[in-house]
This record gives sequence, structure tokens and C-alpha cells, in this order.
Amino acid sequence: MSSVILRNVCKSYGNLPIVKSLNLEVKDGEFVVLVGPSGCGKSTTLRMVAGLEDITQGDVHIGDQVVNDLPPHKRNIAMVFQNYALYPHMSVRENIVFGLKKSGADATTIASKLADVSEMLKLNEYLDRKPADLSGGQRQRVAMGRALARDADVYLFDEPLSNLDAKLRHHMRTEIARIQHQYNMTAIYVTHDQVEAMTLGDRVVVMRDGIVEQVGTPMEIYLQPSSTFVATFIGSPAMNLIEAQVEDGELVFSGYRIPISKIANTSEADLQVYRKVLVGIRPDFFEDSQLTSPSDHLFEFGSVKVDLVENLGFDKEITFKFGQEEAKARLDLRSHIVREQVISLSVDLNRVLLFDTSSQGMLLNAGSL
Amino acid sequence: MSSVLIKNEARLGLKLVAPAVGIIGLLVIYPILFNVYLSFFDVQLNGTKIFVGFDNYSELLGNPRYYNSIGISVVYLLGTVTGTTVLGLAAAILMNQEFHFRNLARGLILLPYFAPVISVVFGWQFIFDPVNGIYNHVMVDVLHLSDTRENMIGDPDSALFVVILFDIWKHFPIAYLLLLAKLQSVPKDLYEAAAIDGQNAWGRFWHVTLPELKFVIATVVLLRIIWNLNRFEDVFLLAPNVETLPIFTYYQAFSGVVDQGGAAAISVIQLLVLVGLIWLYVRKVLKW
Repeated sequence: MSSVILRNVCKSYGNLPIVKSLNLEVKDGEFVVLVGPSGCGKSTTLRMVAGLEDITQGDVHIGDQVVNDLPPHKRNIAMVFQNYALYPHMSVRENIVFGLKKSGADATTIASKLADVSEMLKLNEYLDRKPADLSGGQRQRVAMGRALARDADVYLFDEPLSNLDAKLRHHMRTEIARIQHQYNMTAIYVTHDQVEAMTLGDRVVVMRDGIVEQVGTPMEIYLQPSSTFVATFIGSPAMNLIEAQVEDGELVFSGYRIPISKIANTSEADLQVYRKVLVGIRPDFFEDSQLTSPSDHLFEFGSVKVDLVENLGFDKEITFKFGQEEAKARLDLRSHIVREQVISLSVDLNRVLLFDTSSQGMLLNAGSL
Repeated sequence: MSSVLIKNEARLGLKLVAPAVGIIGLLVIYPILFNVYLSFFDVQLNGTKIFVGFDNYSELLGNPRYYNSIGISVVYLLGTVTGTTVLGLAAAILMNQEFHFRNLARGLILLPYFAPVISVVFGWQFIFDPVNGIYNHVMVDVLHLSDTRENMIGDPDSALFVVILFDIWKHFPIAYLLLLAKLQSVPKDLYEAAAIDGQNAWGRFWHVTLPELKFVIATVVLLRIIWNLNRFEDVFLLAPNVETLPIFTYYQAFSGVVDQGGAAAISVIQLLVLVGLIWLYVRKVLKW
């Protein structure tokens, strides 16, 4: 195992920049997830680490070696591809040991590796089949097996679960987490799925338009997003962002007045220079006022008219309006709410975030972990 | 479906295939059967037929010219099939790379295949003309590889070589076209996976490209064998002295001592070989 360091890494196709001066350090044994919308440069970054794309500028280090000019097979990496990339004419067994054989491993090592991997991924009964005779989930496991059979320094995953159905995706996600933990492997994992990012990553890197928006643990990203982009990209339903006026020590929007001094880590003086801010409240942090007992840090939004109720079983999502802007709240099955009903929603002011209206960045160090 | 509906549908089906069956029967089945019938007769020029049993076959199997033409056909098939497949594969791999004017080049490569046989045959005859041809000019006057001007097409041995070259040049585009179509559909990530697994360019060709092309290569080889076993016009127009099986059959049937019964016997044997090859194609290659 090794660490991976990317220093000022840039990638452009002609004049079109794809990745702009990216810095990232993946520690030995760490699982880092790159997440972002399509075209944010996350896959390109991964492929530069793999050696499948050349690096326009900057350095990639694996261990203590700069690998910029090394071909993929000299970087001692293993990779799991989105479409599995299994060799169709080879059996599962041959697919798994193909790279091992080429690397010159002796027959005993190959046999024991194959036994390990097929045992762990439950591939024993499929070893003689061709990829065409396997289901999507089985192919995914073979692709994982092929990567795991190698004693690679770094394991790279390029959206490995995106072709599986929801149930299987969940299952494989758990498997990957288990295997990563067991092998203590250094891994970089690319996904556009925020659930995978949150659940798998020791740290999550949120990317947009070729730059890193934020790097942090999943909980840091969730509770202290550095910008409105991160705040709305991670979390479902997305965070509510409401524009508020700063007036006399209060945040004012759609008839509600929130005392600034009660918001975590924030004082009236901090907001002196602002006339307007964006107030960010995650739908998860709303509570049905009927189910809460009054407390000092709770703020109550009274007379909220419910436009829509979506029942998800345990959870229910409520759609309502702050003035003209639509907002969502997630309550649970204890609340009996129907459309058109007028209710009160409470929110813990420790969980309320403030963002700059122009830069979209988070103000102060609001929000607590 | 009720039985009435099924019956009506079957009747409609019969009506729909009837014209095709009629045409095939008239143009393919009837001539084949008539050919088999003829092979048991001595056919006179005035049309009278004398039944001779298997005489045509035994005569044919005792004729050294027949074996000679089989030998020539085998060399012709080996040369042309290997040549077109290898050249087609090379061209397909080249044309699968990114470069400027690739689409233009892809189109130009197809030209020999589309050109009319008779016009390009004249061109090739000029090339190998002993007096004015560029071939002899280059070999003798420019490169000094030979002292004497050779009549490449006049001499049956070297003419076979020219005929093979001509066929490769004229027909490699079809191999190229089929192989390129398949090459373009090989997933890129297979090459990437192979690169990570430690394969260099040759290894990736051997472990990814070739296995992916296996089916198409087999198709190309088999189709080329079937087509070239019957190839007549290219050979006859360019060098009628190269006696491949179809040319030999033609001489038997329509020149010198006309022997239509004997020619029919050759065709019947050739038909059996072809049927075997087509069976192989349908049963094996199409099922890979």
C-alpha cells in the first residue's frame, strides 16, 4: 500500500480545461471518494492517476515516486471499470489471474490468490464461466476480484456500481466497504452518487467544473458544507436556501425573524457588513413542533401551509413555501399531516447555516459537527 | 389463436414466400438438378444425350489436368484468402487510429472493390506488359533486379502470382470493411484494463483485438474461400492461362472438344465441396 499525492494537477483537451490545478493527498490505507456532477473532472482525475490519460501539468506521486511518465502497468495500480471491462473470451478464473500471471507471480501464489479472492467474493461456482454467462452483479464481483487479486499499491474505482440496480448497488456498496476495511487498501473511488460518497469515504472530495469545492469527512461535508454547491449537491432532498434580510440583529424572511445571536458560532457583529444572506436549512433538521418541547435553541416557523406530502414509509417529505420559494422538510411517521394543513415546524438553530449571497461561500464557521 | 386464424396465417405465409421460392427454384434448384443429370450423360453438340453412368466422373478423376487445376486452385485460395485477410486486418487497424483526413482515406481504400473488373484488368495488364509495363521498367531499368524483361502474365506460373496479387488488391477492401466495423465496436476499456494488467501494444492486440475479431476473421476467411472457389471473371480476363477449377471447367464445357457432361461432373464435385463449406459456416462460424 502507498499514499497518493496530486500536486497542481491540470488536464486540458486542446484549450478546454477539464481539471484545474487539483491538489489532493490520499494517505496510506485511506478510502477517498471523488464525487461531483457529470463533467466535473472526477473520472479524468482518476484516469490520470491510473496512467490512462496524460497529465497536462503538475505531478502525481504514488508512494515516493513521481509517476507522470510511467505507463499504467508500472504504477502498480488496480482498477475497477464502470462497464467491468472483463475479457469476454476468458473464463472468470482467467480474468482474475490474467494480470497476476503477466506480473510473473509463481503458480502457488496465483492459486492461493485465486482461492482467496473467489472465496471472499463468492465466485467459486462461476470460475469456469465466461463473462457473458454472468449477471451484472456477478460480473461486477469478477471485476472486483480481478483488481483484488493484484497486490496493488492503490485501488481505483471508476463508478463501479452505476450499472447495477438499486438493491444490488446497496449490497455491493456494503461489500466494497467491508473489503476495503479488511484489506486496509488505499483507494480512490469515483462516483456521482452522494450516498456512495457518504457511506464509503473516509474522506470525500466534492468537485465541480474541474476544481475541488471541498475536501472533508462525510460528516464535515454534510454539516459544514463550504459552499451552496456542496450544500445542495450532498443530501437528499437538497438543502433549502432562503434569502434573508439582516435587520436589527435578526434574519428576516417571509415574515419570520430569527435572532442572529442564537445561531451557532455567530454574533450580530459578524453580520454587520451584510444586508442579505442565504439561510441554509436541511430538510432533515425540521421537526414537527407538536413533537418537540420548547427550548432556547429551537426556532419555530408557525403557520406553514403544506402544499404536498410524499409518504416514503418511515419518512415523509413535506413541500411548503417560504414566501415565493419552495422548501422541503423531512418528518417521520409520527407526524400525521395532509395537504393544505397548516402546521408549525421547528428547527435547531445549531444546524442553520449562513451563506454569502454573492460568493455562495459559507459565512463564518457556522454549524456545529 | 384459434385454429382457423392459424390456418389463415399459414396460407398467407405460403403466398408471401411463393414468388421467392419460384424464382429460386427456377434459377438455382433447376440448374443444379439439371447439372447433376447432365453429369451422367455424354452430351452431343446437336443436343442428343447418351447415358454413360459414372464415365464422366471416372474420366475426370483420371485426367491429370484436373488434378493440376485443383493444385492451382489450392495455391490461388491460400494466397488470396491469406493475403486479403492479412492486408484487410492491417488496413482496418490503421484506419481505426485517429489521424487527419481519416474519413477520406477510409473511403479511398474501398475504390478497388468498387471498380469494374474489366477496366482494372486492362490496367493490370498494362502494368505487367513485357515491353511498356511499369513492372518490367522498375525491375530491369530502375532497380536492376533482373537482366531480362519477363512476360509475367504470359507465363502461367508467374501469371498465377499476378492473379493472386490482383485478387488481394481487388478484394481486401471487403475484409477491411468487415473487420473495421467490428474493431470500432471493441470497448476501449478492455484495452485500458489490459494496459493496467501489464500488456504492451502487442499483448493488447493478441489478448484483446484478436479474440474480439475471431468471429469476423473466420467469416472473412470462409466467405473468401467460398467466393474464390468459384471466381471466374477476374482470373479469366486477366490471365486465361491460369487454370483454376472454374477456368478448367469452362474449357471443358465450351472450348476445343466440347464436353458438357464432363464439365457438369466437375461442377457437381465442386458443388459438394461448397455445400460442405457452407455447412461449416452456418453450423460453426455463425454460432460462435
